[in-house]
Amino acid sequence: MTSPELVLDGLRRQYGAVAALDGLTFGVPAGEVFGFLGPNGAGKTTAMRAIFGVTALDAGEIRWRGRPADEAARRSFGYMPEERGLYPAMELYDQVEYFALLHGMDHAAAAAAAKHWIDRLGLSGREATRIDALSHGNQQRAQLAVALVHNPELLVLDEPFSGLDPGGIDDMSSILKERAAAGVTVLFSSHQLDLVEDICEAVAIIHHGRLVVSGPVAELRRGDRPRLAVRVAGDTAAAWAAGLGASSGTVDAVRADGTAEISITSAADSQAILDLARAAGPVEHFAYQDRSLSEVFRQATGASVGQAEAEHAAANMAAAETTGARR
Amino acid sequence: MSTSTTGSAPAAGGQGGPARDGGSLRMTWLVARREIRLRAKTRVFVITTVIMLIAVALAVALPAILSGKSKPTRVGIVGGDSATLSSIVTEAGRLSGGQAIAVPEPSQAAAVAALRSGDLGAVLVDGKEIIVKQVGLGGPSGAVASLAQLAGLSHLVQTVPGAAAAVAHGVALPVRGLETPSTSLSSRLTGLFTVVIVWVLISVYGSQIALGIGEEKSSRVIEVLLSTVRPVQLLIGKVLGIGLLALGQAIAMVIVFIVAGFASGSSLVHGATLGVVIAGGVFIVLGYAFYCTAFAAAGSLVSRQSDVNSTIMPVQLPLIIAYALSYTVIYATGANTFYRVLGFLPPTAPIAMPVLYAAGDVPVWQVVVSAAVCAVGVVWMARLAVRIYTNSILRTGPRISIRQAIRESRNA
Repeated sequence: MTSPELVLDGLRRQYGAVAALDGLTFGVPAGEVFGFLGPNGAGKTTAMRAIFGVTALDAGEIRWRGRPADEAARRSFGYMPEERGLYPAMELYDQVEYFALLHGMDHAAAAAAAKHWIDRLGLSGREATRIDALSHGNQQRAQLAVALVHNPELLVLDEPFSGLDPGGIDDMSSILKERAAAGVTVLFSSHQLDLVEDICEAVAIIHHGRLVVSGPVAELRRGDRPRLAVRVAGDTAAAWAAGLGASSGTVDAVRADGTAEISITSAADSQAILDLARAAGPVEHFAYQDRSLSEVFRQATGASVGQAEAEHAAANMAAAETTGARR
Repeated sequence: MSTSTTGSAPAAGGQGGPARDGGSLRMTWLVARREIRLRAKTRVFVITTVIMLIAVALAVALPAILSGKSKPTRVGIVGGDSATLSSIVTEAGRLSGGQAIAVPEPSQAAAVAALRSGDLGAVLVDGKEIIVKQVGLGGPSGAVASLAQLAGLSHLVQTVPGAAAAVAHGVALPVRGLETPSTSLSSRLTGLFTVVIVWVLISVYGSQIALGIGEEKSSRVIEVLLSTVRPVQLLIGKVLGIGLLALGQAIAMVIVFIVAGFASGSSLVHGATLGVVIAGGVFIVLGYAFYCTAFAAAGSLVSRQSDVNSTIMPVQLPLIIAYALSYTVIYATGANTFYRVLGFLPPTAPIAMPVLYAAGDVPVWQVVVSAAVCAVGVVWMARLAVRIYTNSILRTGPRISIRQAIRESRNA
């Protein structure tokens, strides 16, 4: 991995009793599609807002290419917030051009860029349509056009895949990959960890405003201890695996069809495990098995993504009640 | 998100090259420009402007036109010395502020017939009697009333010995006032006109600013905006853009006021001193700047546009009080102390001070002091508004109290 182009360094932000960001630190390498993952309420939106200076930080720093990200640097960033929003009564072309101008383009360049992205995102013919008269899908495209129109060097998208149908997810991911191929650093957030594991090259997973783990997706999914999935015909309880020594590996789980998921120790020999399985009966399935990102999360935090989100929602309600009582 | 995913880099962005300068003034102007272009294009704006201008033109010109002095009264003369009576008729017309024409008639019957047909407005018989088609409820008026007096006087001089001498000294008693009004009614009415403009512009455009900010907040476009534009640039740009539109409308209203006034010969424009007009202009700008930044802050407190009206009502209150009280000053001699105090408070001065000055209740230096106080108030209000706005514009949910917004802005 090259030295990171965007660095979030020790970000802290306190909202009342809740620490939205609690010393969050990670780096995003240049020209990659980078996933910023975590359950709802982990602090992703707050961190992304901090990149644009929309949220003030209690401590910490955002660095872009080795220097603190100031207003001029931010003007070369493109942003698609989680709460999508455009001027409802403004026409599509005017809107896209307006944001190009706000990002410092001159009138000619802004006009050309607006036209380019409207065409590229399949919105041509709708230039004079008011935003509120566009379909939901087309409003999403308009939002993306606004984020892309000034040809940003860093693209930050908060939950770009939420609310998209499978076709929309494919379109969105192909655009993100295309931008990364053109040299743009792409940072996007998602609370659906497993949905995006094929889309991004590297990820940072956060929880409670802190980094849980970060790195290339392939490495994270393999983990320190590679995992084998082994099934012996007729043995639905994976009883054969009881013969495994602690030195060769541990059984993480047994699936309903009898497949044992075994984290092998570094010293273990996979062929020895295969021999043990064959001794018990015909082996139907034997393969290395990557973990899902949500499993990576569970292993690191001890809680599933769903549990973490439920916990967050409960904390929110409690906080709301306290505030209500104070009023 | 089209499915044709060609990997070509965007030509526009690549070559046209974002300038990435974005000076503070440029940003503010871009925001202002959007407001002007978007609003000036709408049918509502065009229609309201036209209606406003027509209303001003009618308000100025109608009274002058309805007084009907352009149409001379035709008076038939039967018998008597027609030369003398003709000159009496002409003089009566002049005295009434209009015009009267003497028309010799061969007989009383012919004159009455002409009266019935509407060809004549009145008939003077033998210099002793005046006949009209119908006497008005309040007695004769206009040229006819003057004619009745003049002809009566002439008859008196001819029939009563010594009356001529008495008339030569004048029959009317002189009237002397202890105090003369310090300014003419016209000047006061110009002051009133200023007040109406301040009131209309602030209410119309102030609520538009609050609604516009509510729109940016409720549509959530604000977060995209804030990723490149500073809150102060957004707020000032919006107030400036809408303000320039408002100023354009105000100038158009003043031009229509002056043109319609002169064209119809309305007494409203005569005696309107330049000073009152200038003071009015200065306070229109100050009042707008003060209230519209306040309205912007109020608009940022709500999450839904429908809540905007309830938030701006308290902000408008001082303006409403000053507006209501100004009518008592316009038509009275001497303003009371309370109203004079209002003339120096930034929230009420934009209405109260032009009125006080137009009514001649304050000297010029006090107007200047008030304007200076107002200017300080505008800067203070703008700072407070930016603070409230910055702190509340990204917060959604229930309405935020002003105290909360100010308090939390300290640690934001």
